Amino acid sequence: MGNALNHYLKPDVTPGPDVVPSFDPMLGFASRKERVMIATEEEMVSAKLTPKERDYCAHKLLAYRGCRAEKFPFVYQCAHEKHDYLTCEYEDYVLRMKEFERERRLLERQKRLDKQG
Amino acid sequence: MSALMKSLSLVKKLSAVNPALQAHIVRNLAGWNKDYKPGPYPKTEKEREAAAKKYYLLPEEYKPYADDGLGYGDYPKVGGGLGVEHKDNYYPYDYPEIKRNFNEPISVDHDLYSEDRYSQPDYPRYSKSYYMLCFAGVMGGCLALYYWLEDKKMYRPVAAKQYPADGVKHYTFER
Repeated sequence: MGNALNHYLKPDVTPGPDVVPSFDPMLGFASRKERVMIATEEEMVSAKLTPKERDYCAHKLLAYRGCRAEKFPFVYQCAHEKHDYLTCEYEDYVLRMKEFERERRLLERQKRLDKQG
Repeated sequence: MSALMKSLSLVKKLSAVNPALQAHIVRNLAGWNKDYKPGPYPKTEKEREAAAKKYYLLPEEYKPYADDGLGYGDYPKVGGGLGVEHKDNYYPYDYPEIKRNFNEPISVDHDLYSEDRYSQPDYPRYSKSYYMLCFAGVMGGCLALYYWLEDKKMYRPVAAKQYPADGVKHYTFER
């Protein structure tokens, strides 16, 4: 976890834990795909999803839970739905890692630009 | 059946060697036994001598607990000494595991003085100030580390999880 050490040694250019990106999301992009929330509020409320589960993968979680309810006790038939949901969560995590790295690089760039004046 | 007969014959053999053994086993099977209860407080000189003899003590050594309602009848007052831990390890005791001789009177609080319990301690190896210094050093070291590392957390290099909300736009890294 070199980031923890860097956060101590270079606190000005290392984002902290669970950083909220501070730069313009379009900085350096000509166009950028927006994330779309597919599950609606009513669906999530009626399925009693916890606040933590109401992320951009909620529709896949709903599909997986629905499949389980339908196929029970033969829940192995929902393997694809489960895999789909977990892959979505994994990709969400990778996106968070990318956002952290983007924030870190932009902070370094900002520092470099400030030094140049 | 043969195993039962065999064990019965073993009991017979054992009781032939030591007739007291059988009585002892039977007595030990009970959780409580009147034979283990001390007798009433000795009032006359004759009773005192009889009680001293009963506990294998010399009459001048025998000293019962005061008969004030909280005493122990004729049970003799023998102190715990320095505790079993401080008894000589190399003396050939009759019961080396509890360091006790046959019929040696034991304290009423014997359970308090057994080897895994209280004992009057020896002189400690180091001085009190040294122990205090060690304590302060370890505790102070731990506290210093704790406060120094308070704002230096280990964390995973990830940004905050994105949740859809009104007026908030999130983007992927695709074009």
